[in-house]
Amino acid sequence: MVSKQNINIALIGNPNVGKTSVFNQLTGLNQQVGNYPGITVEKKIGFCKLPTNIKANILDLPGTYSLNASSIDENVVIELLLNKNDKLYPDVALVVTDVENLKRNLLLFTQIKDLEIPTILVINMADRMKFKGISLDIPYLEEHLKTKIALISSRKGFGIQELKEMIITYRTISTEPCLNSSVIDQDYFDSLRKAFPNQLLYKLWLVITQDVNFLNLDRNEIRSSFTKSHSDLKRLQQKETIKRYQFINDVLKEGLKIDTSIAKDYRSKLDRVLTHKVWGYVIFFLILFVIFQSIFEWSTIPMDYIDASFASLSAYTAAELPAGVLTNLISQGIIPGIGGILIFIPQIAFLFMFISILEESGYMSRVVFLMDKIMRKFGLSGKSVVPLISGTACAIPAIMATRNIENWKERLITILVTPFTTCSARLPVYAIIIGLVIPDTHLFGFLNMQGITLMLLYLLGFGTAIFSAYILNKILKIKGKTYFVVEMPNYKLPLFKNVGINVIEKTKAFVFGAGKIILAISIVLWFLASYGPGKSFNNAEQIITESHINDPLNDQDFENAVASQKLENSYIGIMGKTIEPAISPLGYDWKIGIAIISSFAAREVFVGTLATIYSVGGSDNEVTIKNRMAAEVNPATGEKIFNFASGISLLLFYAFAMQCAGTLAITKKETNSWKWPLGQLVLMSGFAYIVALIAYQILK
Amino acid sequence: MYQEIIAFVVLGIAIAFLIKKFFFKGKKSDKDCGSGCGSCG
Amino acid sequence: MHTTIHSLKKGEQAIIKDFDIDVVPLKLLEMGCLPGNTVELLQIAPFGDPLFLNINGSHVAIRIETAKEIEVDIIKLNLW
Repeated sequence: MVSKQNINIALIGNPNVGKTSVFNQLTGLNQQVGNYPGITVEKKIGFCKLPTNIKANILDLPGTYSLNASSIDENVVIELLLNKNDKLYPDVALVVTDVENLKRNLLLFTQIKDLEIPTILVINMADRMKFKGISLDIPYLEEHLKTKIALISSRKGFGIQELKEMIITYRTISTEPCLNSSVIDQDYFDSLRKAFPNQLLYKLWLVITQDVNFLNLDRNEIRSSFTKSHSDLKRLQQKETIKRYQFINDVLKEGLKIDTSIAKDYRSKLDRVLTHKVWGYVIFFLILFVIFQSIFEWSTIPMDYIDASFASLSAYTAAELPAGVLTNLISQGIIPGIGGILIFIPQIAFLFMFISILEESGYMSRVVFLMDKIMRKFGLSGKSVVPLISGTACAIPAIMATRNIENWKERLITILVTPFTTCSARLPVYAIIIGLVIPDTHLFGFLNMQGITLMLLYLLGFGTAIFSAYILNKILKIKGKTYFVVEMPNYKLPLFKNVGINVIEKTKAFVFGAGKIILAISIVLWFLASYGPGKSFNNAEQIITESHINDPLNDQDFENAVASQKLENSYIGIMGKTIEPAISPLGYDWKIGIAIISSFAAREVFVGTLATIYSVGGSDNEVTIKNRMAAEVNPATGEKIFNFASGISLLLFYAFAMQCAGTLAITKKETNSWKWPLGQLVLMSGFAYIVALIAYQILK
Repeated sequence: MYQEIIAFVVLGIAIAFLIKKFFFKGKKSDKDCGSGCGSCG
Repeated sequence: MHTTIHSLKKGEQAIIKDFDIDVVPLKLLEMGCLPGNTVELLQIAPFGDPLFLNINGSHVAIRIETAKEIEVDIIKLNLW
């Protein structure tokens, strides 16, 4: 038989073992991120060329502690490993472990071995062995675990080449289980084996105990004849776990030696400070403060640059291309639209950089530990902190991150309140409005007022999230078993490569995901703003000439007057004018109204929409969006449209309103009901309207 | 004239894309986790 | 009243004796919380809850309500 030139490799491992680093080392940037069909679990596939020209598809499975799944992320692992017909079914499994947690990590390894897939044991973080006084007897371990072992350090990058060479010999790796776990209830497993002689015993056991799909076999059939009470099953699972640990302990007694006199430990020292009852919180809030200050201060430089470049590009195309509809579409619709997407990149990149540093370093678990008791008072869990913090990037992955909250009520409340946190889509809206209405002065010489306003908006988001959680906790009557287990991983210096790849992936997802929508909406808006029904649009020149018959305008003023006459009577102008009565008590004109309506697809459309509307409305192309907004006045009163009162009102509206179709969709998926997303939409937006109304009426 | 034709073709593509994205989500949703912020990974 | 993980003082070690399988999550068992294994209380969170433990080499945090369900025998360290 000709050896296969394309093999599938599955990367499996506990969380916090550096599985993603191994993945990145093997594949570099050659990876694809998608989702598993029907569910929103991230599916990462990478490609790698192995020696002797074999191509490998490497699938990075979600981290799991065992094959006893407790979340849909973990279900993905089991479903893939049970389905031989899946086109990604692995030819070889790499179980990634951390040399410092080998005992616990091997539990999953022994389970994978029971599935009779060729398995390589990858012992990662081998560079720490000396530091921790660990020595391994590799031949002994290979013999007793019936596997091949690759000792690597994904951090230092050694052992990767050897691992690649080991992978191509996968056919020679034993597929024999390393222990016989059926002894925990011999009679039961014997009868199971008799009933389904062609099936793998451990697979059957997984089908009985787990909530997973299993091809070719009717689960009900197995379950009805081999059913046991929930409690009995759990007792058996405990026995199974004990059995596996006994085996692991026996093997490690010979195979792993730790010289504790050499071992150094800085974890406990760091923990003493980072989880201290005063310093812990001080450090946590300092970190948050630095993040928000720096996002604002640092990203304005590239943002202003992008804004200005696109403004001059618009002017250039308008001047150079032959005049016509298409040229206008390009210079007033498409270019400002693309600019409206790219302008978010600096902030999104910074935010994801900080979040992935916090997660990579192991600090995030300390925050969970630190905040649990406080969060529980509000009906949340310490684990809700992670969604609330990553909600500052985007509510969609944040809501997905609630999956590891064990208690349903705590999880539901977290899902419902997460959209209040200030996501990166709000950031550009905030940035532009703050830039317009808050003076750029410094308090005490170093605290930027605009930065402080931004931080207050973030705090407002968190505060509202926590306050509404408190109310929901009182209203919702859901009882459920509650427990809380969180691993406290070792502190690690975040790897530049991991952080970098993560930032690139997320930014790419934004540009090509949301970006396409923003661009399409910009194009549609341009048409709606450039065409209109009836005389008042089509005869704009004539109307202006007639109305100024006694005081003729100069060319520039005439053009501007015609443009705004056209805009007001275009399709979009008519739509805006229709809703104006509803939003004028909030201090908005019809142009802002259009921007708000289009923001219900996604908030970040706001800036792009205003950019398009103002580009169409003005004749001078070489002005940035910000300057156009600053120059906008109310024709009736002569007052600036973006003044302090309307600016604050807009900020508050965007802080509270539920304007994200994507978040509504993910809430529906995660709660399995339309009730919750509809509640979010109506209550959050209603609340936003009322707060913005009050703020404007007081401040004006 | 040709400018107008191309411009309206572009409009058609944009509208078709938005309709597909927001009204036929059921079919597409397995590949795309949402339309909003896009940084869904 | 039994001695449980909740009765441990900071820095104290104990051997896990027994627990009610229906209230202790399987995930904790997989982390090594099994009869006969050692447990050490490393750190108590501000406000007294949750507890940061070293169970059989795994570093995990659990809430007091779970800790109360796990019976242990405290290892008396003879310092002299």
